[in-house]
Amino acid sequence: MNCEVCNLKELEVESFEIREVLRCILHTIVFHRALGLIRPKDIDLELFDITYVQCGEIEVEKKIDDKIEQFVTWIGKHPNKKSQICLTFYEVKTKQPSWFTNKIERLYWEQWNINLSAFQPPTKPPVGKSHHSKLVMDPGEESEDISSRRTLLEQSLQEVLFQIIKFVNEKKDHVPPINDGVIYCPFEITFPSSSDSTFGMDMLKRMLHSGGHPSMLS
Amino acid sequence: MDFPENLPSPDIGRLEQIVSHFFPKALHIVLDSRIPSLQSRGRTRDRSSGGLNVKKSDKWFNLIMGDRPAALDKLHSWHRNILDSMIIDIILIHPTDDDDDHGNVRSAETVIERWVVQYENPLIMSPQTSDPSTRYQKVYKKAIILLRSLYAQTRLLPAYRVSRQLSSSLASSRYEMVYKVSSFSDVFSPPVTETMKEFRFSPVEVPPGRLCASVTYRSDLSDFNLGAHITLPPRIITDYVGSPATDPMRFFPSPGQSFEATSFHFQGRAGRPPLTTSSASERPHSWTSGFHRPPTPNQSFSPDFHWSRTDGGDSHHQLSPPFSPSGSPSTPRGSYSPRINVRPGTAPVTIPSSATFNRYVSSNFSEPSRNPLPPFSPKSTRRSPSSQDSLPGIALYKSSRSGESPSGLINHYPGHKLTKDSKYDSGRFSGLLSSSGSPRFGFSRSPSRLSSDLEDPDCSCPFDFDDVDESVLQYSQSLDRRKTSSSISQSLPIGRKSQDAAVGVLVQMLKTAPPLRQDSSTYMASSMSGVQREGSSVSGAESEFSMARSTSDALEELRNYKQLKDLLLSKSKSVGGATRVH
Repeated sequence: MNCEVCNLKELEVESFEIREVLRCILHTIVFHRALGLIRPKDIDLELFDITYVQCGEIEVEKKIDDKIEQFVTWIGKHPNKKSQICLTFYEVKTKQPSWFTNKIERLYWEQWNINLSAFQPPTKPPVGKSHHSKLVMDPGEESEDISSRRTLLEQSLQEVLFQIIKFVNEKKDHVPPINDGVIYCPFEITFPSSSDSTFGMDMLKRMLHSGGHPSMLS
Repeated sequence: MDFPENLPSPDIGRLEQIVSHFFPKALHIVLDSRIPSLQSRGRTRDRSSGGLNVKKSDKWFNLIMGDRPAALDKLHSWHRNILDSMIIDIILIHPTDDDDDHGNVRSAETVIERWVVQYENPLIMSPQTSDPSTRYQKVYKKAIILLRSLYAQTRLLPAYRVSRQLSSSLASSRYEMVYKVSSFSDVFSPPVTETMKEFRFSPVEVPPGRLCASVTYRSDLSDFNLGAHITLPPRIITDYVGSPATDPMRFFPSPGQSFEATSFHFQGRAGRPPLTTSSASERPHSWTSGFHRPPTPNQSFSPDFHWSRTDGGDSHHQLSPPFSPSGSPSTPRGSYSPRINVRPGTAPVTIPSSATFNRYVSSNFSEPSRNPLPPFSPKSTRRSPSSQDSLPGIALYKSSRSGESPSGLINHYPGHKLTKDSKYDSGRFSGLLSSSGSPRFGFSRSPSRLSSDLEDPDCSCPFDFDDVDESVLQYSQSLDRRKTSSSISQSLPIGRKSQDAAVGVLVQMLKTAPPLRQDSSTYMASSMSGVQREGSSVSGAESEFSMARSTSDALEELRNYKQLKDLLLSKSKSVGGATRVH
């Protein structure tokens, strides 16, 4: 059984919106995969009129926040770029140690691709420009553009959350059983690092691990 | 209902238990997110208490919701046959444009959401291919996922926001959100309009049938003009807190001059003119309609409290449902008697004073919850419950009403909830506990209400209300008692969060400045001239020492006053500039 993949709708975000958007999406996904005994936590976004749910696990929150910070740092170095953050769930399997493989193996059974297009708004033209009258009008138009863009992003983010719920509902068979004492399914978050080749290698390794394992069916 | 015979007998009972517990859990999730009066207790137990205090019934589907309110148990009590569908209607009661003959505004009911949970039992059982021994575990896992997505969906739909707006007490009393749980959707329920969207959750196969859930909802609630009715009309208060004619803790509405309406949703202190130095004969005027900035920023006082969760102490329950010991299938009962328990209204409650509110605010930090604000002083219930006792399968319950008057503590993060614990059990909050009644939520300190009387002698001071520490409050009160001058300038409170609170303290300070009062009955503005008069006059009843002391104190006060004024001016400018960007 192969890894189930879900590609989420692309979102155009400004750099200061990335944290909230990512936190919302990542936590929503993990909440649906935290099948142990949890006490859900409702979080209101500050930038948008959206409430999402966290599973309430401190470790999850920390892990997600750390990854988001790394991603924001990376985005700072690669502005105005489309990027994809992958949230993958895996099972830990122990294999017979051999010459080439490690003892512990990860079997990826689900992958979420979060597509972001980060951009920075253009800076204001210098005062010395000749279109002085236009400069006077710009703040008003700019605020209208900002609010309309923000509204669109809010709607898109809601659509992404609906998309997550829909996917989670439609595909349940591939979810492995939860072991005793495990609150949430182990996951990892990856994104294109500074070296693109490393990212590609990660994807290749994941594909090799996840493909052709009938034992995934449960 | 016949379960497959090829299943081991414990599995038969477990599957049926999964189905039978699915209904109340779904009901709990939906109503918990829509009706604040039915929100659960005990969701915020500390981590230290662990999972030991979680009830077994709450562990079902590994989703701790807190103690189920009694009303929910009563609601579900009639749902005995798992083959009956459970239909939860979320109904918005709103005013219409039509008036009746007496000029009263009519209200209308609109179903804004309908949740349907049912267990479909197919006529022909499909052959079961999977291993029977692990079937119930897989079924349980899928049911958990279904409820997770149902939980998340309740937060995404528009009714969630409406519910929170209404419960934040700043909406008009003409809006109300009620719910109805029934088994028959076609005959008794209000019609579902064509403009509603539907979302069907993927069913979970629970042999011999399957668990299904769906929601039909209105995606656009702007027709109800909720936003317009939440925004308060402009009011100007001319008799401010601390005027000599009034109780320092009161303020009164001001007739007269119009003012720019302050939106419900605002951040900071937009729309508030800075404190200006009044002339010698005028008292400083208050402004706005008594709105307060939210006591703390969202980061520190937000509904996203860190839930303390149960740890793995109950790990043995994490996989398996908390099945009852007998494990035998419950006997489906062919008939059920609906127990309708509708209360016409709540007991009168008084508006909490600022000190009381501060206690609740501080308690909110220590024991966060999603409980609503304390109820406002009530009106009689407008709506009487319809005679539905005779209708089987239907339970109509009142929900929490929107607050009848705007709260003096504005909060556009409606998660400023207070703990629903024994602190609420004082008389003034008894209305909150009538779970099936119609408690009013929110509290009012402002006279600027939409539908109720303006003057309320129980209103507390707007300026030192929301986030004033009790110590500051006691400070201002002790000043009034002691009437000392030297302590005023030195113990001026610093680090105030609310501009209004700062103004309140300033006014209090001005009011209780003994040397100025002793010299004349005028205020600080006039004290400037008074200081000069003091300085110039040598003779008098006071000794030279007391004169020098009062002069220096007056000068010190004047300096502090100027600093405070500058601070308030700068703050109001910066906030006014910040909010214009939105």
